[in-house]
Amino acid sequence: MTEIEMITITIDGRSIPVKRDSTILEAALENNIFIPALCHSELVEPYAACRLCIVEVDDGRRAKLVTSCNYPVRKPVTVYTSSDKVLRNRTITLEMMLSRWPNVQIIKDLAKFVRIEKPRYKHPAVDLNPNACILCGLCMRICEQGIWENIINFTNRGAVRAVRMPYDSDQPHCIGCGACAEICPTGAITMVDDPNQPFDADMVRRAGMRITEEMIKFDEEQCDMRGVGTAHLVEIMDAYDLLPVMNYRYGKHADTPKISSDVLRTFFTKGKPDGCWLGCTMACAKAVEDFQLSTGPYKGEKVLVDGPEYETLGGSANMGIFDPRFVIEYNFYCDTYGLDTISFATGVSFVMECYEAGVLDKEKTGGLEIPFGARDAALELLHQIGRGEGFGLIAGKGIRYMKKYFVENFGADPDFVFDIGMEAKGMEYSEYVTKESLAQQGGYGIALKGAQHDEAWLIFMDMVNKQIPTFADKAEALHYFPMWRTWFGLCGLCKLPWNDVEPADNAETDEPAKVPGHVQGYCEFFEGVTGKPQTMDSLISMSEKVYNFQRVFNLKMGFGKREHDAIPYRSAGPVTVTEYESRQDRYDAQLSEEVGIDPSGMSSEEKVTAMRKYREAQYEQLLDAVYKRRGWTNDGVPTLDKLQELGIDFPDVIELVKKHGG
Amino acid sequence: MQAGTIVPAADSMIVVNSEQTEWSRGKTVSDVIKEKNYIFPLLIVRINGKLIPRDEYDSSVVPDEATVDIIHLMSGG
Repeated sequence: MTEIEMITITIDGRSIPVKRDSTILEAALENNIFIPALCHSELVEPYAACRLCIVEVDDGRRAKLVTSCNYPVRKPVTVYTSSDKVLRNRTITLEMMLSRWPNVQIIKDLAKFVRIEKPRYKHPAVDLNPNACILCGLCMRICEQGIWENIINFTNRGAVRAVRMPYDSDQPHCIGCGACAEICPTGAITMVDDPNQPFDADMVRRAGMRITEEMIKFDEEQCDMRGVGTAHLVEIMDAYDLLPVMNYRYGKHADTPKISSDVLRTFFTKGKPDGCWLGCTMACAKAVEDFQLSTGPYKGEKVLVDGPEYETLGGSANMGIFDPRFVIEYNFYCDTYGLDTISFATGVSFVMECYEAGVLDKEKTGGLEIPFGARDAALELLHQIGRGEGFGLIAGKGIRYMKKYFVENFGADPDFVFDIGMEAKGMEYSEYVTKESLAQQGGYGIALKGAQHDEAWLIFMDMVNKQIPTFADKAEALHYFPMWRTWFGLCGLCKLPWNDVEPADNAETDEPAKVPGHVQGYCEFFEGVTGKPQTMDSLISMSEKVYNFQRVFNLKMGFGKREHDAIPYRSAGPVTVTEYESRQDRYDAQLSEEVGIDPSGMSSEEKVTAMRKYREAQYEQLLDAVYKRRGWTNDGVPTLDKLQELGIDFPDVIELVKKHGG
Repeated sequence: MQAGTIVPAADSMIVVNSEQTEWSRGKTVSDVIKEKNYIFPLLIVRINGKLIPRDEYDSSVVPDEATVDIIHLMSGG
């Protein structure tokens, strides 16, 4: 970081240290010195249109009038905000404004401030509307600069100048974010389209606008969701040894920079956010246009690709392929064939490890030579899955099917394929390495839908921050976060605006990991829609009912007990000697400090076994703690007491749960 | 801090996220973040429980034997 240069200026006799290149208006506002302005907002670039913010600046050689909103401080100057010259000019400007818009409250207030009650003349284009547009341009600037859209702008000149949508017609491209109406100082713009008739539309909009303001102010320096979407996580996961490489064996790779967000940024062609949801100003969905495909039924054609996102990039690292063009191509064909990029990538990673381990060979794959990094073979397998042909018929059915098939038909060692086949409840793991975070192992293993991180992403809390050291701490996190994230599902909301931008005061809250300011926003959102006031606890209790009901549903379908929360050992620790030795210092230290075993003199095989015994026992203890916290039996079945407490003790639910010891 | 003025103190340690970490005179929050390769952007830093504002990471010197919490928030899908 470079050191910030401070310059001391004088405003109305007060000495004020100011960051170089900040404006006089910013410096004045920060120090509670009032300078009137109509076209200024910290959310947009200075415009200097209203001319009310003029001040007199003396640089030691001469004094001149400048607009303070766009005058950067680069040397010590003396500023007068209310000199005779300033007041004379400001008063004339306000008198002209008042003559044109005599009933607009903010104009009346500012005119009063300079002691004008009534203008001396009548404006030829006088507008008596109290909500008249005063042509400050804030609306069109926030649309363009803040939202990255360009829906409204000025039309015409002189007395007929006005803000309009093109051709004076409703624009289908308008995302309806409401930022223009929110920033308008006179109420000239109002939102009229409330198709779902919420209880309090303004309450909903205010909650949304807070996120929009944070996106405008902070996103670029925080997650850059609008610039690159979740792709920004590639290099971060690599730095923390969490990017899955070669079927989750490793957490980083020397070639990761080849698929980093900086590289992807050069492929993303949209000059503006391509939101997946109209009105969302986080707009993290990205697109690659005119991408020429190198394989498959559309080979040679130029296509638009929706993505890639982090998981698709992480999946590529998992297959040992660090080629951005491959990522974009497999993203396109997964979308085209209706396949999930995560399941495909994790499934192929498993195939590749099996190939390298000798479980598979060219004969068994129908001629495919597919070790890690085999770009062309991975794409060919993708097309075979799409066509339902050859080895694709087996691989396309997922890891759970492949494990069984390889054991029964290819003589694979069941222990090995079950250790490295990264699925739980039949669903492939998403793209994070969980080995060093016990809580995250639970996050994947206990998740109701299968191995997904979208119930709880706890790796930083657990592994990096060391915030949840005890089993009880981890169990509490594995109660709160899955319930919280279930709430998004209940309401059909995306969770990204919850914690992919951070409010300015989040660090000062008691529980910043929960982003309390945003939770409050969701309470207001819910109340604005339904009219029912909410608290953080009431939102969680909504989810708890549904979550437990889903667990009961899993039970009914044969997936709702402790045995179904089991995880492949690869997600808990090093399966192979090579894996152990790649992080030997870390594992040896853990054996010594956590397990209480002296690793010196032990072979790597012995260390792998000792570590496994320890980690598998830890996972079982975690399940005990989580089930207890959730009010479930030790076999993971909701108890009758819990069902009664939640009011979901329906006769058929009780019958089912009783049958399973609940 | 001018180059060459950092005085190594081999016996001095600080605790960063529950891990013993070597301390040296003049070490700032930014130095610790860099040393730990904490490149994630959503961090909250507390030294002995006191919140350090983001724009003071360069100038906040970590005292010897301090407990430094560098809390990573969550992001992503």
